[in-house]
Amino acid sequence: MKERKYIYSATVLIALLLVAAGCERNVDELEPATYPVTPEVFIDGFSSGLYYSAYGTSKVTAFSVDNEVKYKGTSSMKFEVPDADDPNGSYVGGVFGTNPGRDLSGYNVLTFWAKASQPATLNEVGFGNDMGESKYQVTLSNVALNSNWMKFYVPFPDPSVLKQERGMFFYGASPKDGKGYTFWIDEVQFEKLGTIAHPTAGIFNGQEVVKDKAESGETFPIADLYASFNLPTGIDQKVGLSKSYFTFTSSNPSVATVNDSAVSRVVSSGSAVITAKVGNISASGSLKINSIGQPVGPAEPARTPTVDSKNVISLYSNAYTNVPVDTWNTHWQYSTAENQFIKIQQNDVIRYRNLNFVGIEFSSQPVNAGSMTYFHMDIWTPDVTTSKVFKIMLVDFGANGVYGGNDDSSHEYSVTSPELSTQKWISLDIPLSRFTGLTGKSHLGQMVLSGDLPNVYVDNVYFYNFGTTPTAAAPVPTTSAANVISVFSDAYTNATGTDFNPNWGQATLVTQVPVAGNNTLKLAGLNYQGIQLGSNLNVSGMGFLHLDVWSATSTLLNIFLISPGPVEKPYSIPVPTAGWTSMDIPLSAFSPVDLANVFQFKFDGNGDIFMDNIYFYRTGGAPLTEPDAAAPAPTASQANVISVFSDAYTNISGTDMNPNWGQSTVVSQVPIAGNNTLKYTGLNYQGIQLGSNQNVSGMGYLHLDIWSANSTSLNVSVISPGPAEKAYKITVPTTGWTSLNIPLSSFSGVDLTNVMQLKFDGNGNIWIDNIYFYKSQSGGAYSLSNPIDFESSGFGAGWTWNVFENAAGPALEFVANPDKTGANTSATVARFKVLATGQPWAGCEVKHGAMGTFKLDASNCIVRIMVYKTVKSDVGIKFAKSDGWSMGEIKVANTVINAWQELTFNFTAQVQDGYDQIVIFPDFNARTSDNVVYFDNITFGK
Amino acid sequence: MKRNNIFIIPAAICSLLLLILTACEQENVQKLEQRNWQLVWSDDFNGSAGLLPDAAKWKFDIGVGPNNDGWGNAELQYYTNRTSNVALDGNGNLVITAKKETYAGSAFTSARINTSGKFEQAYGRIEARIKTPWGPGIWPALWMLGSDVKSVGWPECGEIDIMELRGQKPNIINGTVHGPGYSGGASITKSFAFENDRFDVDFHLFAVEWGVDYVDFFVDNTLYQRITPEKLKGEWVFDHPFFIILNVAVGGNYLGFPTSQTPFPQSMYIDYVKVYQEAGE
Repeated sequence: MKERKYIYSATVLIALLLVAAGCERNVDELEPATYPVTPEVFIDGFSSGLYYSAYGTSKVTAFSVDNEVKYKGTSSMKFEVPDADDPNGSYVGGVFGTNPGRDLSGYNVLTFWAKASQPATLNEVGFGNDMGESKYQVTLSNVALNSNWMKFYVPFPDPSVLKQERGMFFYGASPKDGKGYTFWIDEVQFEKLGTIAHPTAGIFNGQEVVKDKAESGETFPIADLYASFNLPTGIDQKVGLSKSYFTFTSSNPSVATVNDSAVSRVVSSGSAVITAKVGNISASGSLKINSIGQPVGPAEPARTPTVDSKNVISLYSNAYTNVPVDTWNTHWQYSTAENQFIKIQQNDVIRYRNLNFVGIEFSSQPVNAGSMTYFHMDIWTPDVTTSKVFKIMLVDFGANGVYGGNDDSSHEYSVTSPELSTQKWISLDIPLSRFTGLTGKSHLGQMVLSGDLPNVYVDNVYFYNFGTTPTAAAPVPTTSAANVISVFSDAYTNATGTDFNPNWGQATLVTQVPVAGNNTLKLAGLNYQGIQLGSNLNVSGMGFLHLDVWSATSTLLNIFLISPGPVEKPYSIPVPTAGWTSMDIPLSAFSPVDLANVFQFKFDGNGDIFMDNIYFYRTGGAPLTEPDAAAPAPTASQANVISVFSDAYTNISGTDMNPNWGQSTVVSQVPIAGNNTLKYTGLNYQGIQLGSNQNVSGMGYLHLDIWSANSTSLNVSVISPGPAEKAYKITVPTTGWTSLNIPLSSFSGVDLTNVMQLKFDGNGNIWIDNIYFYKSQSGGAYSLSNPIDFESSGFGAGWTWNVFENAAGPALEFVANPDKTGANTSATVARFKVLATGQPWAGCEVKHGAMGTFKLDASNCIVRIMVYKTVKSDVGIKFAKSDGWSMGEIKVANTVINAWQELTFNFTAQVQDGYDQIVIFPDFNARTSDNVVYFDNITFGK
Repeated sequence: MKRNNIFIIPAAICSLLLLILTACEQENVQKLEQRNWQLVWSDDFNGSAGLLPDAAKWKFDIGVGPNNDGWGNAELQYYTNRTSNVALDGNGNLVITAKKETYAGSAFTSARINTSGKFEQAYGRIEARIKTPWGPGIWPALWMLGSDVKSVGWPECGEIDIMELRGQKPNIINGTVHGPGYSGGASITKSFAFENDRFDVDFHLFAVEWGVDYVDFFVDNTLYQRITPEKLKGEWVFDHPFFIILNVAVGGNYLGFPTSQTPFPQSMYIDYVKVYQEAGE
């Protein structure tokens, strides 16, 4: 029956009796149309108006009226099932219909009597098939007949919908064991039987289907719809129902909708349960959708490849013409990988999810990468990559070009963090020589991706080489000429008299060639090669030897530095190179060569080598001891600033920059490049007494510009009466001027409405400028405390937290990390003990204002939290404002227990300003026991 | 309910075919004797859900019968006094539930309760309002046994089956008496059938009215069978106290075995049992 197609052109009209035309009626008096309620379909002949259509590909002549064999009366319907190889059709099937239809709402069952020439099973019978929409079809499947007449029932629910039913009866039957047989059906009619009882209904065959990790946009059909009735014989009978009998409901339409076409669509993150009813019967079975919402994926495409297409064999890239790939997912046994071809800004990308391993095959036209030296792949993963591995296996099918035959070779290459990184495009450029087990590469037929990252986006998969000659010049050096002794470079004045091709008996062919206009040293067919300097060089004041190297063909290259004796020492240069490679070799690597008296270089190895910019250099001159430039000019507008010390703003008047608090610090104000700058010499501690107490609670940050070459400790404190003060640690020494924007939430415990003093403590000589409080240009006093890590020097532990709806549960605690392994090795974490007697929504929240007022925008609305839980349940996060308004929480469940896991919350839909509170529901669940949840490292990013 | 003789099957079917009386044939007005029934014993089964029936009124039959023969009928169930098999439902009903579960060597469990030694009576009206279970091999019953069964044995003690139903025919019940010379397949029985309804969809009232020389059988107060001494092929033994029994059997000679298509669990709901005596007796 699988082959069946509904081809109406082959309709065989057995009986078509026109209903007598009605009398003329006054249209104004028309009532809603009603249709005949005739129950008979076939008793001893067709009922009025009935027609028969055989399925187009069936044996259309199989049906006839039999006047010999009948259950009752004078005739029955006879169906001759053909042999399977019957050229006129290999099955029988068709529809008995009527037009415009009948009103069946007064009945509850279609009954008929049937027998067969031998025991056989009809594939299906029923009604409601009108060869069109078949809106209200009821199907009884696998109807077992034998050679005795038996009565069959096709009961149906909710007859009230059957006001105009055109499909009166349909059937389909296939040969038994390839052989035909005959069956008869008689007394086909609709009845209203009180002996049909106990109706039930179901979806998904009554099963509770769960779709985990569903994503916004995914759709799931509601399938396997049925009703069941207890027959007059006491046994239950199932019938298949069309979807129109059902009304479907979603428990949470904001997460997943369901429509009348029995399709559920995921619209956001969260959980929803789809259930159904038939009339007033609640259907058993359900569809539970656990949605992660929009999958986290790259916002930008991977970098467009720049390798010249003539040096590329591409499997997947918009930048190149790709070779044929049979499949990007072989769906091998045990592979759970699913793939989608998606577009990111018009760029084609392959998305894998549930990736444990996935086979990729291009074996029908194996790839000959014999001339290629590199494999490239861009990958992006939303998953945590710490301690994770991503593996790429390449398989060569050998000379026979097909799998097997003892000539295959393969190698699996592993990529780990830190090369792996989360939520970033990572370009993998792997020398094919690293696939050491891949002994052939001219019949590549398979690739297998595997590892610990279940979600990977893939783009720009290609093999390439760099050609045999560089097309671009080596990078232009940037080191100041004052710090360089150059041997070979267009950028510097080179040492004179150098012989780049002394005759040491080598076979190497040395030339100097222009590459993109830049003179370049080429060693062709290297065995070894010397460079004889014009005079001995003293490079002992230098720190490094620099050279730029390019080679597509070399597999071995060493450079030697030589002083008289000769004293020489090799240094290995990785080859082949991926384009120009800049080497900066510490001269200490050439010990014991006499650096005061260098007179030769030597190279040995193989292949063709291009080199440029061979020079010695030192890093910088003597370090600065005081700033040589003014602090950066502030950019915040005066309206958003309360300034303490700056040439750029009006400062608080009356401020004492050197109150006598018994300090030994020497304070002065010095002009640096014309800019007045505060200088602390020999700091131990130093106060600033504001001219008047300041309310900075509307500000978000304290700004400072700091310069210090020798300080190793520096803190700044904000002080309110009490005194209440809190120190903030500043990283010193600085590299030039460092601008600090310190969130005022860092100064917890200080009354920001009444700041009276600032204080610095530490050591060394410090230059300070542009001390001011400010808020952002957009008007809010935004200071996002990021990350909230509960460390003593970080955010979170110093704030006041409130625990709610947790019965008599304890306060939020900050404790030592119970498991310094995995994703979170930090020292201090938050501990929330949630009680069984607490509400599912028990949680904790920062006191309003304690973390400052902040704005969620595109740059910080992806919020992540690490959790360590003993149960799998939702974690909820939301943000609230000072007036008590809060958004609805977003819930994400942890999927591992007894290990740290980072969960990601997407607040894209909630980007606005004025938040001042985070609310966390660590175990959003109707729990049955007390649970301890640790959480940590709440970050705001994109 | 007690049938030692497997040859009853053809006889039972025979009686069924000949004696079916359907509900829609009730157009003739029944003229019954006026009787003044006084309520003497009842159980409304009011009580909290999950409670066993009132121990002052009911006792349990446990197991597979004293002779390990399925209570004389090759019944398949093991009777228990667990609330999963017999309990009040909190809505004023007693529920006896037959379950498909392996228990003490049997493939099914169910319950059977009786008033033996707690309430026994000769003559009167005995009625119960019941919604039956269904399915092939499910055999619910409301019946009575002579209280002298232990001393004189069966069928000498007498048996009055007020209601028995074969789950494969959920629209037909039987009323039957057994005694010496007319027991098992030779019992005196008659069917009552709904043409277009079933006994498992709603509650129905099953009753006998029993006097010195008659036993009348009723469904919903419609008399469908009167048994008098002349109709018996043996001695009239319905002259001494009987006790009441409620049970749901699974399988047995009376109706055959459940099939893979029998839905389980199956419950009989009893709204009340009431016993009356005629005033003046």
